[in-house]
Amino acid sequence: MAAIPTASTGDIAFLLIIFFMSTTKFDVKEGIKLVLPQAAEVESGKTQTLTLTEKEMTRIQILPDGQIALNREAPRYIESSELDVIIQQKVQINPDMIFKVITDRETKYSEMIRVVDRLKAAKIEKISLSTS
Amino acid sequence: MAKFSTKKRRGVSIPQGSTSDIAFLLLLFFMVTTVFVQEKKFWVERDRWPHAESIERIPRNHTSTIYVLRDETILLDDIPTRIESSEDVFISQTLIRKKAEDPELIVCFRTDRDTKYGVMSDIMRQLQDANTLVVAFETQPLLK
Repeated sequence: MAAIPTASTGDIAFLLIIFFMSTTKFDVKEGIKLVLPQAAEVESGKTQTLTLTEKEMTRIQILPDGQIALNREAPRYIESSELDVIIQQKVQINPDMIFKVITDRETKYSEMIRVVDRLKAAKIEKISLSTS
Repeated sequence: MAKFSTKKRRGVSIPQGSTSDIAFLLLLFFMVTTVFVQEKKFWVERDRWPHAESIERIPRNHTSTIYVLRDETILLDDIPTRIESSEDVFISQTLIRKKAEDPELIVCFRTDRDTKYGVMSDIMRQLQDANTLVVAFETQPLLK
């Protein structure tokens, strides 16, 4: 009597399991992590006004067309590689430099991420986000 | 002459007849328990996320994801909303509740890269109101 060989069914099943285990992709979250400052309590008088000089803080203003204005400089397109060099120069002047990223409401979100990414890549911890 | 009687050792064998049944049971278990992510009406595809280099892994068990679409529709807990004015407090109210449930809450932004920054700024202001200060912007690796 003809019989279908069943000896290899276990192997087939295990192969299927291995296939599913190796091809399963877990939805891992990856991204740029930031800690926002606490909400300012203007009414309670707990806020302080500080005047920071260019040696202490660098303003990076991102305009709607993607141009970047550094401190009081005229806005221009800055490539990521050039941005890295500028950040390094600023950190050399002051290792505790604060970088204030001022993004226009009409600017593309990806432009803000590009600047913050370059700051994070340079291991900058003091990043402030604000909008104009 | 005396002879030692030698007992024949019985070979120990593990029964293997049921391995295929076990394997198929495992397979059925995985097939039954697998939950596929349902196609949502509001969704930001991975290829629409901004690119970045300094990516870090974010622990999933403490995250809550906010989807922000290009048309400024915000999706929080599968509820689509929009921020029409500074009086809108839907996001902050929802996050106050979530923060009470999980004090280590991290808010993840899954935002379309072409979204205008204004809406993100409004959401972050509500996050500050809810004292949910740890945020993560989901990104994809930079193209080389």
